[in-house]
Amino acid sequence: MLKIINGQVYDPANGVSGELKDVYIEDGKIIAEPGFPQNNAVPDLIDAAGCVVMPGGVEIHSHLAGPKVNTARMMCPEDHYDHFHTKTSVSRSGTGLTIPSTFLTGQLYSRLGYTTVFEAAVPALLARHVHEELQDTPLLDAGFYTLMGNNYMMMKVLGEPDSKKRKERLRDLVAWLLRSSKGYAVKVVNPGGVESWKWSQGSVNLDTPVPPFGVTPRRMLLELVDVVEELHLPHSLHLHSNHLGEAGNVQTTLETMRTLEGHRLHLTHMQFHSYGATKSGGISSEAPRIAEYLNQHPEFTCDAGQIVFGPVTTMTADSPMQFHLHQLTGNKWANADVEMETGAGIVPLIYRPSNLVNAIQWSIGLELLLLVKNPWQIFLTTDHPNAGPFTAYPQIIRLLMDADYRRARLAELNPKAVRYTCLAELDREYTLDEIAIITRAGPAKALRLSNKGHLGVGADADVAIYPLQQDKEAMFSRPAYVLKDGQVIVRDGQVIKNVMGRTLFVQPEGAQKLPPDLADDFARFYSIALSNFAVQEEYVERQEVIPCI
Amino acid sequence: MRHLSRYSALAKGLFVAEGRKGRKVVVIDVRPTATSKQADEFLEITPGQDFEIATVLRAIIKGLPLPELPEDSTVGGVPLSKWRELVSLMKACHYGVVMFGIGVTESRGKDLNLEQIIKLVGEMNEFTRFYAIPMRGHGNVNGSNQVLTWQTGYPFAVNLSRGYPRYNPGEFSVMDLLIRREVDAALIIATDPGAHLPKVAVEHLKNIPTIVLEPHENLTTSWANVVIPVAPAGVGVSGTFYRMDNVALQVKKLADFPFPSDLEVVKSIKERIADVKDYQRASL
Ligand SMILES: [Zn+2]
Repeated sequence: MLKIINGQVYDPANGVSGELKDVYIEDGKIIAEPGFPQNNAVPDLIDAAGCVVMPGGVEIHSHLAGPKVNTARMMCPEDHYDHFHTKTSVSRSGTGLTIPSTFLTGQLYSRLGYTTVFEAAVPALLARHVHEELQDTPLLDAGFYTLMGNNYMMMKVLGEPDSKKRKERLRDLVAWLLRSSKGYAVKVVNPGGVESWKWSQGSVNLDTPVPPFGVTPRRMLLELVDVVEELHLPHSLHLHSNHLGEAGNVQTTLETMRTLEGHRLHLTHMQFHSYGATKSGGISSEAPRIAEYLNQHPEFTCDAGQIVFGPVTTMTADSPMQFHLHQLTGNKWANADVEMETGAGIVPLIYRPSNLVNAIQWSIGLELLLLVKNPWQIFLTTDHPNAGPFTAYPQIIRLLMDADYRRARLAELNPKAVRYTCLAELDREYTLDEIAIITRAGPAKALRLSNKGHLGVGADADVAIYPLQQDKEAMFSRPAYVLKDGQVIVRDGQVIKNVMGRTLFVQPEGAQKLPPDLADDFARFYSIALSNFAVQEEYVERQEVIPCI
Repeated sequence: MRHLSRYSALAKGLFVAEGRKGRKVVVIDVRPTATSKQADEFLEITPGQDFEIATVLRAIIKGLPLPELPEDSTVGGVPLSKWRELVSLMKACHYGVVMFGIGVTESRGKDLNLEQIIKLVGEMNEFTRFYAIPMRGHGNVNGSNQVLTWQTGYPFAVNLSRGYPRYNPGEFSVMDLLIRREVDAALIIATDPGAHLPKVAVEHLKNIPTIVLEPHENLTTSWANVVIPVAPAGVGVSGTFYRMDNVALQVKKLADFPFPSDLEVVKSIKERIADVKDYQRASL
């Protein structure tokens, strides 16, 4: 048995807020305080005096493994040259600042106190590659979301006129795609927009019929949220809305939310979707309107997608958006067409405080985090590595907890930014409780991971212990201890033990096979045989199936 | 040839129902080949002009004036008017793919030729969808590139001698290291340097301790110091294969072999090293 003593425990899911409380661990799980008399075994002790004790961090949206990440690594050796980590007796070497190699990714997350991560966008056809990388990403439990928003079979099924049949077929297809890919949730990226671009057609609105079946994004979203609920998937639909990054996209974002009112829905990297348009075509902050809407609609969750100044590597299934970014910046660009399923684009970029657009974007992310009142509805992300690397989380935590620091940073931005934002007027400072929610308890709840994000009896013993400090960036950069499944893996910010986490995925009910007409399409038009599609058991050696209930 | 029938030319596509008839195939090569005979158009070019051709094509695509080139001149041995026709064809298509072979990087200009082709394909996307697919040689070269990239950040020519990955093609690539005689022992897996490397590199290999993991006899096994027979991947042992378009597929074991897999051999070597150096086994 292991006992963490003298720590201030922040476990918001269980209503524990900074109380001095001991945490007991056995066999990788949190256990109740053993009754007296204790059995004769003397517990190992971790003295957390002067520290806060939190559940391990839970990353809800990050691009950390798989074909697009690896293509970006290959394409950007300049991201790696100056950022290398030497092997130690327990951990393997690696390189990378914004797109670290796999071993390093595991080490960097755990060194911040994160113990669970989700890769945000995986085409089912390429899922095997992602699982291979996840098996080389140590120290973390990990899963991914399976892309469906521009899937040919999904659009074909939605073209079916009979609504009952349509629903059944879609349910079977979604279940089959998740099971085949061993994915965790349904991801939709720019619904219909990627397919439209493949046809060299313009961007889509909610009611634009999308070739080749004429299904509208509104229809896709409405039907998919229903199916996600019917299948009792632990996570809601995970949506990257249309018109990411475009001036005036607040209209689309609000309309999307109105369309899906009453459903569980997660809107990702909200910062990129909260823009008004200025007369000259620039962006302005519409964070207050988005936050106001979220404050009225507790059924929705979102993550911030906070900008971090410095180099980033943008990568998304939203290939039209990436092409425009390439044209706009002239930076190098990679693009992929994933057969019948989706696309993907990559463009490296630098966010600069002196750049007006970047300064406004930075302000909008923080505004959202400060204006959404309920921390259970908004989570800390940088859409790694799109808006910034996840390694900047401690810096963002300081921006949220320290209004003076935030104002000082704001003063360094392009001075025009304040004309288009309201950040300067916001005085809110996050509490440690709220930080614990937006970095672990909230994401775990939105993902319905009942053993994560809290320290109640039965939870996985994933624990992060941070020494209390005035400078919150320093505090969250260097945990005193991190425990994974009850084992100390990090001590004073350094990895001291290497363990492998589990792959988290779902196995929803539904037909085990594709219906004959889709199987026929598959046989004729996919470049691989149907029998080679589903990810084999060998790719999830250490697995945990999260129930659909 | 299988590529033509299965993927690129004859295959009936969802939106190209007639298969070959619904496609235009243009082959650009320095001599007629089996592939060029199947093409709608074959442009026979003079060798070593890849850079010039790609540059002129890019200019035509962009609609730039070509004051140095009279309309009746030739570029790479092909009339300018032909290149103009090709660009019109490309701009008019719904979906174009440039498949290029290793020859492009071996003619004058080398990597610069490739850069031109990639830029050309990128620029074509302002008009329609266009993609490029490199036609790689050996099986699963891509698999090796992919794994090295996710583990170290770099696809090949990775040097770990300082305890962290360094990358420098030309300095740390196999051929260069061997020719400079910097290597003092070699572990060779899944390749036959005796057949593929230049003579001077092979000569050096012959002078140093060389261990080969190999299912068959080949031009390296005859002189290697140690040959460890292994089960052939995809026949005697299952594994993952990365197709040249980056799709990962599982190759299955079809028959029992009395030999261990590459993986088992390397793992047990690593374990013994770890015992000596006292590394944690879990980090292997
Ligand atoms: Zn994302």
